[in-house]
Amino acid sequence: MEIFVALFFSTLRQAAPILLTSLGGLFSERSGVVNIGLEGMILFGAAAAAITVNRIEVATGGLEAAWIPWVGLLAGATMGGLVGLVHAIASIKYRANQIVVGTAINIIALGAPSIVLQVLYLNTSTSQPVENRLPNVTLDLGLGTGTISILVVVAFLLVPLIWWVLFKTPWGLRLRAVGEHPEAAETMGVNVIRMRYAAVILSGVLAGIAGAYLSIGFLNQFIRGMSAGIGFIALAALIFGKWHPLGILGATLLFGFAQALAIQLQGGDILPASIVQALPFILTMLVLAGFIGRSRPPAAVGRPYDK
Amino acid sequence: MGKYLFLIVSLLTLLLMILAPWAAPMREFDGSGYLLNPLGTINPQGLVLPEGLGFNWLGAALGLWVALLIAASVAMFLPHAETRARMLYILGGVGIAIFVVEAVLFYQAINAVNDAAVAAGARRPPLRRFALSLGVYAGLFYSLGLLLLARMQLLGGLAFLVRMRGLVVPLGSLLLAVLIGAVVVSVLRPGLGAEGVERLGWRELVATELDLVTYTFQILFSPILTLTGIFSSLAFATPLIFTGLAVAFGFRAGLFNIGAPGQLTIGALSAMLAGVYLPLPGWLLLPAAILAAALGGAVWGGVVGWLKARFGANEVINTIMMNYIAASVLLFMISGNEYRFFGQTVWLPFKAEGLEARSHEMQEGARIPLMVNLFVQDGAFSWALPLALLLGLGTYFALRRLDLGRRLLLSLAVVVPGFVVGGLLPGFPIEVPPAMAAQLFNGSFVIAILALIFYNFYLFRSSAGYELRATGLAPRAAEYAGVNLRRKMILAMAIAGALAGLAATHYVLGAGMDGTYRLSQAIPATVGFEGIAVALMGQNTPLGIFFAATLFGVLLSGGVALNAQLGISNQIILVLQALIILLIAVGGLLPRYFTDPLQAAQVETEAKAELEARQARSAPAGGN
Repeated sequence: MEIFVALFFSTLRQAAPILLTSLGGLFSERSGVVNIGLEGMILFGAAAAAITVNRIEVATGGLEAAWIPWVGLLAGATMGGLVGLVHAIASIKYRANQIVVGTAINIIALGAPSIVLQVLYLNTSTSQPVENRLPNVTLDLGLGTGTISILVVVAFLLVPLIWWVLFKTPWGLRLRAVGEHPEAAETMGVNVIRMRYAAVILSGVLAGIAGAYLSIGFLNQFIRGMSAGIGFIALAALIFGKWHPLGILGATLLFGFAQALAIQLQGGDILPASIVQALPFILTMLVLAGFIGRSRPPAAVGRPYDK
Repeated sequence: MGKYLFLIVSLLTLLLMILAPWAAPMREFDGSGYLLNPLGTINPQGLVLPEGLGFNWLGAALGLWVALLIAASVAMFLPHAETRARMLYILGGVGIAIFVVEAVLFYQAINAVNDAAVAAGARRPPLRRFALSLGVYAGLFYSLGLLLLARMQLLGGLAFLVRMRGLVVPLGSLLLAVLIGAVVVSVLRPGLGAEGVERLGWRELVATELDLVTYTFQILFSPILTLTGIFSSLAFATPLIFTGLAVAFGFRAGLFNIGAPGQLTIGALSAMLAGVYLPLPGWLLLPAAILAAALGGAVWGGVVGWLKARFGANEVINTIMMNYIAASVLLFMISGNEYRFFGQTVWLPFKAEGLEARSHEMQEGARIPLMVNLFVQDGAFSWALPLALLLGLGTYFALRRLDLGRRLLLSLAVVVPGFVVGGLLPGFPIEVPPAMAAQLFNGSFVIAILALIFYNFYLFRSSAGYELRATGLAPRAAEYAGVNLRRKMILAMAIAGALAGLAATHYVLGAGMDGTYRLSQAIPATVGFEGIAVALMGQNTPLGIFFAATLFGVLLSGGVALNAQLGISNQIILVLQALIILLIAVGGLLPRYFTDPLQAAQVETEAKAELEARQARSAPAGGN
């Protein structure tokens, strides 16, 4: 029984960053912009959060206070939003190829943190560990208890909220219209450009929060390339979840479970760790090939909008 | 409006000339230097110059530049376009002449002092790491800008620029990326020599900061100045040519291949398996290993093509997934010998003894020699490669009348005897400096050149390549014309994968990673991503890819020195490449007629119409 409780909480912990990122991608793709740069936005958010918290600690002489990690979270979200803004300017204002832009962001995110780390911490791969992490909450299932970061709870609470925003508010209707048929939406008086800007920036903010969760919630430092493909798995979850919040929830729980299982299997004598690590990616490919259900993207996704 | 923008640029140039260092006659290893400026030297670390070194001409040079800036600004306001152009051409030429005189004066003075000191018995020259600096370069760039501006004044100037957009967009993006990189560098660390020095005035602070930025890019571009540096740059460029080709091949077929890292990894793995374990005679082993590298990559790419053709699965996400899977496969194969599968123990022989995750050594026959050893054998220059090259090219250009296939075949047929005969010819003795022999520049560069030639002929000279490009440009039209889209898709991804896989010839068969003929886990798979920058910068043309890869090779080679001297991570090269990708994607922030072929054609048509109207107007006048 104990192992199942552990597996359950581990699934939640693994699923949360994928879920946050995927929900961000949902906004972007529903507005018609493919955001392949989510992976990079997670890294930027993670680096900004960890470095901000560490700098505050250094400046205050190792102060431990409840507000510090929240400032870090804010920094991560802001950083993600800024990178989202860059993506938006390139792909909306300059009508650049959205996949090329996203890829460029991912590559920048591989190199840029190292340059800053080199200056601050004299190495290119990790930041100094922080003391002030985001708070945890303890949940009691009846069968056993487990501790998860507060952001995990937030991530799951976001699902119904975003469902409501997308499908029950006028703003959500407009967003979906912009992604399906921007010309029609424009005729109805929707500002396509502004909607897309908002959506892409929002996706960056959510990915940045996912990054902050990784660096100051799940762990206590930034590690080079720590996103380890979460941004891409989130995109796969988006496709698998048919561009719907509830579908995404299901897909991310599946991917999270695969990763939690991988961690449980590691060190055992069932499968070698290197093979287990590849499982989520193989699963994603099977999903994309349509072996597990078909899905249809928003009609205008990937197309720059021209007035 | 353009005139006033030009005024601002002129003022900024003047400001730069006043504030920035003009030259540094000497520097310490950490970059802090003795900085010359017409308004007084800047020397925060208190370096001492040897006696007899004078730079009195600096003040006069500044005077000349100020006169030139004023003249150019006035010339821009002349009413007649042709006079304006003529004036700007002259002023640009004068500016370049001033720059040349400055360079000659500077380097002559330095060399004279160094030669005198060495003649007097000094162990090494007293002045080191000397170079011109930003203040002088500013004048050069301004003058080059004047020449371009002059062309723009004449009729059809804009159309000229738009016609050259294949160059303008990448070079403009490179320039912008360098500027952004400069800002990043100057934010990151204090100016050169300004650290730990108190009571620096604002003028010193600005000058040392500008010096830092200039010196950073001087280091990055410095490998082109020495033969050793060029060797090192080409060694860095070789894998980039392969991955650049892999990405460009996908682009030409309308596919975005982000999978080059994975294809490279699997190519390296299969090259290793062939090179270590295939029981073949020596002369057959190397071709087999090279083929294995290509095949491994082809399979890894082909799977993605098949998934897209069969199931419509997006190739972008699938290639990314395949990258992660390839990394896992590599780790599985060479990071351990014993694995437990469901309680059963499995033994894998691939990992060599030791802590490091790496394979056994290649057999002798599977090793690609260093480039130095291809040209110089047993201390004598070998004619084998030059003669083969000469004969091959000669045959190709001599047989203009034959069709392409026969031309290529005959050229190749001549290359082989050329290589053999050249090997028999007596060479003259030649000595290779050890620094050059230490560079990991190996024969895989020849394979890279062959890959470039293949890319050129397959895509632009064969009907299969024509169909492939048609598929990329207009899939529906191609299908209507009878192209089997699905087959093309699989083929394109397989060939792209094979090209990426061939990069393994550099790393594994050519020992391009650390000088050992092994596959190790540290194989830099991100080179596959850098291929995207190469393809975009090279505009998917063979020559462009070669030059872009060489440029990045130079930067990567310079990045090693940058890290050692200034403590700036060489990851900055990766960021610069990514910035270039981003900037080319947005068309270098240039107006839209530079990126949209339809609008570009419109600009050219308008220019032509204007020219014809002008001729029609002037023709009767000339007749009278």
